[in-house]
Amino acid sequence: MSDFMRKVLASKRETRKRLAELPFAQKLVLLEKLRDRSLAIAASSLRQQHRLG
Amino acid sequence: MKATLQVINQMQADGVIGQYAIGGAVGATFYLEPSATLDIDIFVTLHAPPGSVLISLQPVYDYLVRDHHYQQEGEYIVVEGWQVQFLPPGDALGEEAIAQAIPTQVDDVPTRVMTAEHLVALALQLGRGKDFSRILQFIEAGVLDAARLDPILTRFQLLAKWEDFGDKFLRKT
Repeated sequence: MSDFMRKVLASKRETRKRLAELPFAQKLVLLEKLRDRSLAIAASSLRQQHRLG
Repeated sequence: MKATLQVINQMQADGVIGQYAIGGAVGATFYLEPSATLDIDIFVTLHAPPGSVLISLQPVYDYLVRDHHYQQEGEYIVVEGWQVQFLPPGDALGEEAIAQAIPTQVDDVPTRVMTAEHLVALALQLGRGKDFSRILQFIEAGVLDAARLDPILTRFQLLAKWEDFGDKFLRKT
């Protein structure tokens, strides 16, 4: 594995750790944002076209 | 989600459900980084109606859909914007997971979340791809207490599945 990839993975681990340490209430707010984003992506016309195509 | 939990707490106060615990992806979020999910799994203890030995979710639907006009969408009820799935415990593991859930707060709203070890045991029992993925997240996050997990796996005959899981996902060849 390259040094670059090692740094990327370490950075991802650090971000995940930081997010996991947030208070539950704050994490639930993030969860709501993630859900809203997922729903928006699912409803987007590009995705609909892809599904139809 | 706070408003959703307030409604569920009110259901409990009104005697519609007994104890409850948040499980699934939202329960896992208590311990891990948030990951996208569309629904909340609420594991609930329910009382059989007088004269019956069968547990039914009907009182939950009557309360939320008929009396409080929340929408039903398939197996979910949309409560304050969140799809909620109410799940009576299917076996003793589910019952224990509810009984031993951890009381916590979402701002000023009290709620209960399953222990990390019970979430892992239930995920192992279900055994879908996303369940295995979640177990790996728990392991990588280092939030599992082996002294708590081992007796649960033993009590509920999940040791063989745990070994299989380890062989597939954790052991290097």
